[in-house]
Amino acid sequence: MDYIIMLLPSMLKGLTVTLKLFSITLVMALPLGVIMGMARISSFSPLRWFMEFYVWLFRGTPLLLQLLFMYFGLMTLGLRPEREMAAYLAFVLNYSAYLAEIFRAGIQSIDRGQYEAADVLGLSRYQTMKNIILPQVFKRVLPPIGNEVINLVKDTALVYVLAISELSRVARTHVMRDDTFIPFLIAAIFYLMMTGMVQRFFKWLELRYDYFH
Amino acid sequence: MYILQAIDIHKNFGSLGVLHGVTLQVQKGEVIAIIGPSGSGKSTLLRCLNHLERIDSGRIEIEGETIAQNNSEGQAVYSSEAKITQARRKMGMVFQNFNLFPHKSVMENLIMAPTRVKNMDKAEAEESARLLLAKVGLSQKADNYPFELSGGQQQRVAIARALAMNPDIMCFDEPTSALDPELTGEVLMVMKDLALEDMTMVVVTHEIGFAREVADRVIFMDEGVIMEEGQAEEVLLNPRQERTSAFLSKVLMAR
Ligand SMILES: Nc1ncnc2c1ncn2[C@@H]1O[C@H](COP(=O)(O)OP(=O)(O)O)[C@@H](O)[C@H]1O
Ligand SMILES: [Mg+2]
Repeated sequence: MDYIIMLLPSMLKGLTVTLKLFSITLVMALPLGVIMGMARISSFSPLRWFMEFYVWLFRGTPLLLQLLFMYFGLMTLGLRPEREMAAYLAFVLNYSAYLAEIFRAGIQSIDRGQYEAADVLGLSRYQTMKNIILPQVFKRVLPPIGNEVINLVKDTALVYVLAISELSRVARTHVMRDDTFIPFLIAAIFYLMMTGMVQRFFKWLELRYDYFH
Repeated sequence: MYILQAIDIHKNFGSLGVLHGVTLQVQKGEVIAIIGPSGSGKSTLLRCLNHLERIDSGRIEIEGETIAQNNSEGQAVYSSEAKITQARRKMGMVFQNFNLFPHKSVMENLIMAPTRVKNMDKAEAEESARLLLAKVGLSQKADNYPFELSGGQQQRVAIARALAMNPDIMCFDEPTSALDPELTGEVLMVMKDLALEDMTMVVVTHEIGFAREVADRVIFMDEGVIMEEGQAEEVLLNPRQERTSAFLSKVLMAR
């Protein structure tokens, strides 16, 4: 027990690092995902092609590699990136690609009749997207987005390759130093708490969106 | 003086010719029923009038404003975006599948366009929406969502939503085709009331009874051309064309 209490401060510090990466990624990648999802089906074909390439690139390579690439790549370019910066960048770019695909599929799943009804009523394209299409898309993409967010909780552990002291790395350090696996247990509990909260939050959101079919 | 003119309309989808020189002239207050077999181009014609599709050649005029006309090579050229937008506001459209906004209540469906397109005050829009709901017999349903309504009720909401923009011309594309037979009556009733109020209406329909009772003129389309047109009684009871009578007996048999 005393050991656990002694562990807590550094574990909590690791947790904050994890949470920070988690929140920054979400806050940036969600809106980017919406925009990229729309760009992915834009009528302007170069934009469409670029987005297709982008998604292929970031979904087609390991996130781990992207992290390393971002850090050492930027370094070779003569920039001296902060390790955290490189991590945020890789995560945001990677998760935007996944979310873009989800939003694209969501947008394409909306019946063409919705656009036409809005069109004959005189709504502009912007008004149609904002008031008619996207609210319906959000409801439909909630389950797959929920999955991605849970993945994100767990993926944060990958930044250990950049020697960033997030939750799992802190745990490992303690395990190796103190020759006990208790830190791993604590880390697991923290992850379960986070994913549990994400799950509940999305359940709540789905209920909130249940007022229409 | 016609309120709506579509002259010698040609429309292709790629290599598929769908409209081969269709001319439709509508007078103010006139009710026109368009009948014809599936695939004959009825929806496409309506969609061209509403600018949901672009015509390849021909001329479209709405309330004296030219929306599209041929250039010297015989290809349709459209007027400025602003002019088209202006003209389209005079037309309402009702779809086969209603196309209500599922995430908006009935009231929100009705005031969406008036408040956002016409910048009407919300209270004012709601007031006229209530009148329209009363007119289509759905005063009690203002706060319901589309999924809570029957198909017939949804279609009546869709009609009210189109009317909320105060159009001069109403287009209907098979408004009762997606409905169970016992629900078509309530929708046709609303349309009949509209006709009695001298609304100009272009109605694509398979409801021969409705066409006979309400339409001033009936147009029979087949394979992208108007095969026959005239007074409702004339076309429906004494068709001149073989194709028309064949189609009519098929539709009447199916009932
Ligand atoms: N968007 C489209 N792309 C390609 N072909 C179409 C499209 N819309 C309609 N068509 C074709 O045009 C023809 C006429 O269709 P439509 O106007 O819907 O006929 P109707 O309403 O009389 O049943 C059909 O052969 C149909 O397959
Ligand atoms: Mg049709």
